[in-house]
Amino acid sequence: MKGIFASDKVKYFDKITFAVLLLLSILGVILIYSASHNTNQSYYFKQYLWLSFSIVVFFVVFSVKIEKIFDYCFYIYGILVAILVIQIAAGQITSGTRSWIKTGFFSIQISEFVKVCLAICLARMCTGISTIGWKDFFKLLIVIGVPFLLIAAQPDLGTAFMLTSFFLMLVFLKGIRASIVIITITILLGLSFSTWNYVLKPYQKDRLTAFLNPEKYRKSTGYQIIQSKIAIGSGGLSGKGYLKGTQSRYKFLPTRHTDFIVSVLGEEFGFLGISFLLLLFFLLFYRQFNLQKCRSDEEFYFVYLFNGLILFQFLINILVSIGLFPVLGVPLPFVSYGGSSLLALFVGEALVFRVKINHYLP
Amino acid sequence: MYIEKRKVTRKEIKRISFKINIIIVIVFAVIFFVFWNRQIIQNQYYSTLASRNIRKYLGVKAPRGFIRDRNGKALAENKLNFGLFLIRENTDNINRSIDFASSLLKVERDVIARRVEKYKEYPEFFMIPLRKNVSLDKIIYVESRSGELPEFKIAIEPARTYPHQKTASHILGYLSELTAAELKREKDDGYKLGDQIGKSGIEKKYEKYLRGRDGLQTVVKDNLGMIREKVGEKTPEIGNTVVLTIDIELQKFIEDLFKDYRGTAGVVDLTTGGILALISTPNFNPEFFSATFNREEWLSLVNNPDKPLHNKFTQGQYSPGSVFKILMTLAGLQEKIITPSTLSYCSGTVRIYGDIRRCWKSGGHGTMNIYDAIKNSCNIYFYRLGKKIDIDILGRTARHFGLGARTGIDLPNESSGLVPSRTWKLENKGEKWFPGDTISISIGHGMLDVTPVQILSMISTVALRGKKPVLHLLKMIEKEGRVLLEFKPEFEQVPIDKKNFEILIEGLFRVVNGGGTGWAAAVKGLDICGKTGTGQIISKDNPDYKELVKQDRFRPHSWFASFAPRDNPKIAMVVFIENGGDAGRIAAPLARKIYKKIFPTH
Repeated sequence: MKGIFASDKVKYFDKITFAVLLLLSILGVILIYSASHNTNQSYYFKQYLWLSFSIVVFFVVFSVKIEKIFDYCFYIYGILVAILVIQIAAGQITSGTRSWIKTGFFSIQISEFVKVCLAICLARMCTGISTIGWKDFFKLLIVIGVPFLLIAAQPDLGTAFMLTSFFLMLVFLKGIRASIVIITITILLGLSFSTWNYVLKPYQKDRLTAFLNPEKYRKSTGYQIIQSKIAIGSGGLSGKGYLKGTQSRYKFLPTRHTDFIVSVLGEEFGFLGISFLLLLFFLLFYRQFNLQKCRSDEEFYFVYLFNGLILFQFLINILVSIGLFPVLGVPLPFVSYGGSSLLALFVGEALVFRVKINHYLP
Repeated sequence: MYIEKRKVTRKEIKRISFKINIIIVIVFAVIFFVFWNRQIIQNQYYSTLASRNIRKYLGVKAPRGFIRDRNGKALAENKLNFGLFLIRENTDNINRSIDFASSLLKVERDVIARRVEKYKEYPEFFMIPLRKNVSLDKIIYVESRSGELPEFKIAIEPARTYPHQKTASHILGYLSELTAAELKREKDDGYKLGDQIGKSGIEKKYEKYLRGRDGLQTVVKDNLGMIREKVGEKTPEIGNTVVLTIDIELQKFIEDLFKDYRGTAGVVDLTTGGILALISTPNFNPEFFSATFNREEWLSLVNNPDKPLHNKFTQGQYSPGSVFKILMTLAGLQEKIITPSTLSYCSGTVRIYGDIRRCWKSGGHGTMNIYDAIKNSCNIYFYRLGKKIDIDILGRTARHFGLGARTGIDLPNESSGLVPSRTWKLENKGEKWFPGDTISISIGHGMLDVTPVQILSMISTVALRGKKPVLHLLKMIEKEGRVLLEFKPEFEQVPIDKKNFEILIEGLFRVVNGGGTGWAAAVKGLDICGKTGTGQIISKDNPDYKELVKQDRFRPHSWFASFAPRDNPKIAMVVFIENGGDAGRIAAPLARKIYKKIFPTH
């Protein structure tokens, strides 16, 4: 086994994409500072520590043979699901928050790592499928559905919802039998209808529909959407300047260090700042999705599933910020505050980077 | 164990990445466009909303300028006042807040709700004034519960105060909140709902000088409405000081004399035309209007039959009675209808155009020249003069002296009175002028209405032998101690020969000093000249005259118009008592007391 700095690994390492990841993360720390420097929370410093740690982990993961990780993915999956179950059980007893494992200064969100693990497991399962039939469908449904329900029960609907991106990517990659689509959609419609009418309480409905008419819910659910739109819109071409965004500084923007980080960017750095962010993400996706060749199918599928998840999460976060999607609580990958998320993303990307050089290696 | 499983061909990889590239390009293009639209196209709109979020404008009421008398004594100034305000953005339930205010102030809920409703176009943080002059117990109640009642605020504001209370109320006028119509008219001048504006008197006339310039603090607030920064401040500026020609001591003295009378009086300084005192009774307390919003109390004043808000001196229109004989004399002399040697015999009655006309003295005055006719106020002499004089010439003379039109005294809503003419009668009554109409007018009755200020203008012009002064109350306007504007005395020449004035004035001198009708006004050594007048309310020809005249309301009004001294006159005045009866016995002695006050050495 060669060391981390083995010449081939250095030669074929995708330096441009890594630079993109670093820029996104550093931009994140900068924006988190702006979003929270006038509070008594040191989010930016925590994020900085997490980023340093994540980069180290990135290179460690990058340098190991990923075949082992792929082989053990279902065990890891089992362990993670078990932890989720324990968390929920513990949460029932203490009726506290269930999504965090508290370890003093830092806390770890298991669901972020479930995403990476699930991408590997699904990539593995994918290899045996030509077009998704009923049997495959149920298998995938169970593998995705179990963590989905557990995470949704935490309750972390945003993260749970992200797992559905895997389904979309699987369908994109493999194709699916029309009957499954028709029946699934019918069942989903039925479920949505009955949930809407019999399960959801009025305030929950308001949350879901507020983005359609935020003015109506100006003082409640629509508030976040309106303030985010104002922040972005008032940024103009070049923004109000760093730390000078009034929406952010005077706290009109809610959860601005996490879900609405784009609004801080849009307000303080304007359309130019947003364009820079879009450019970085475009580069990331362009480079990660354009594999020329691959050593194995499962590695190929993993790259698509994992980056598809990032694309989906990016899209939903942006749509929420500009008021075109209900407020779900989805952070912007690499940029928003959240150590577990950052670490999990760097671990996942380390695997992707490794996949991209594997076929050059002996 | 890792197993090599390769089914995906390179061709397939290319196909899949081509598809995903298309998706990515579309997604990014859409996002890019949306941001472009929001940040570049709609930037203006969102910038406005962003600054509306953080900007807060706090108005600071400017104190109103002072009003002082000629000696610098304060007639109107400002005091501190605690007001109760409602701030809508601090309440979750506006109806509950209104209920609370209603029970606290003991005002009907509807009154407060309507008041709040009026402010619906003002920003939510605007402090809506609910009540001025809040009592101490209510201040403590609200202040000690500021946590539970964040929407209510007690704030200090300058409030108008009049140290002499009711004295000079008709001169000073009063302040009150702008009505919706006034607000619409004055909006460009920066008036806001709830602001006070002068509604009458000097407060109204010199509003634009007296009004201060409100200050404005521009602050930045955060999402909780807490003030974080002060970004701009315009300090409030007090209004200018208006100095009047009034002497408040004289004013008070005359008001005391009038305590038991309904009437009016005006005293003018003939050297300048400045009014020294102007009273009208009953009067009112102007502070009342600026302190309350209570509609009932307000209506009780407005609907009082004695019309305390009405300034009788400039707004009351009455028959001049015999005071008008002054103008008859001048017109007759100027038109050469009479001379000092013209004699006329008074037997008590005379038949003119078939009607019996009476003198006030039933036995008659005997043979009279013009001096005696004025002294005794002989009706017969003037009836005969009226027979020979043309109404339009008489009217023109009256108008020269200020009758029939506003004198232009600096008080709002002056009445113009009525001096008739042939065309006027044709247009308004649809009849031609009858010679008999002139006969009634020749003793100051009939179709003739004057205001006391017009009579003051007339007697002043007589005193000054044809120089008609512009009567005024404003002495000067000061800004921080320096004079901004000063009233320059103005006189207008009346086309009457000076010798005719001397003839008239000899008559007016005899009225007071020669045992005439105004004898009771005489002050030894002061050479007062004057003319009494008794303005009939009902005709003596009325069959019930003797009965009706016993009722207070039908008693004639008493006039006494005078000036002193005869040579180099200093003072002219008009004393008028509503339903006072015999002028010689009521109005003339009051004038005497006023002269004694002004010329204490006599």
